[in-house]
Amino acid sequence: MIAQWLFFGFATLAVLGALGLVLFRHPMNGAMCFIVTLISLAGLYALLSASLLFALQLIVYAGAIMSLILFIIMFLNIQITDLPEEKGRWTFFFGGIVLIAPIGLFLLKIVKTLPESSTTIIGDNFGGVKKVGMVLFRDWLLPFEIVSILLLVALVGAVVLAGKKEMAS
Amino acid sequence: MIIDYLVLSIILFCLGIVGVISRRNVFTVFMAIELMLNAANLAFIALSRLHESMDGQVLAMLVMAVAAAEAALALAVVILLHKHTGKLDTNVFSLLKG
Repeated sequence: MIAQWLFFGFATLAVLGALGLVLFRHPMNGAMCFIVTLISLAGLYALLSASLLFALQLIVYAGAIMSLILFIIMFLNIQITDLPEEKGRWTFFFGGIVLIAPIGLFLLKIVKTLPESSTTIIGDNFGGVKKVGMVLFRDWLLPFEIVSILLLVALVGAVVLAGKKEMAS
Repeated sequence: MIIDYLVLSIILFCLGIVGVISRRNVFTVFMAIELMLNAANLAFIALSRLHESMDGQVLAMLVMAVAAAEAALALAVVILLHKHTGKLDTNVFSLLKG
């Protein structure tokens, strides 16, 4: 019962944060709202008994990635006059909703065909480090290595892009 | 119960798409893309709970790593474009139009 209430609380917070991200004009306010969404998603992962993902969502997403984004937003020192003038924002917002609604309803119809199942917390270390690590290093070893190469390429690319250009001439 | 989680993930994904197509601020568009990745993660983890297997959670971890790489690269590009034009408007960044 309490899990139900927690789910509704976290879901409301997540949707409100996403709405704030889409609607606020300044990206700083949007980023703060987005952090609320990320933290409530971490709570939902905990309700789905994915304990490792709960910790990773808090540390990697809400911690590392969002602090990087906030750092860049503050680094660029955006004033309200620097922001793009978005005159037709509300028009585009409602137009986008009208455009997306059929796709969303179609997906809802697909989801309704799934079997009903309860989401009580599973014991037996489900979603813990050991079980996830076993699957990761046994069945998903090749994607794991490919992701490590991707991270290396992104690191080199970021250094090349953001670094100082020293032309020879 | 699982269906509620999937419905929430669909709502978040649609909000992310609406954010991408309705906003012109680079940072907001970027964070809306991150929101779509998070909605996909939620669906992965809910389905992993439904089937009681770990594969969905491993996929969600890989998505997180890809999102981190994307954040690093995209923010470097945004800094360069801001240095170049002094604006944050996606309509200004049309260098590839030819």
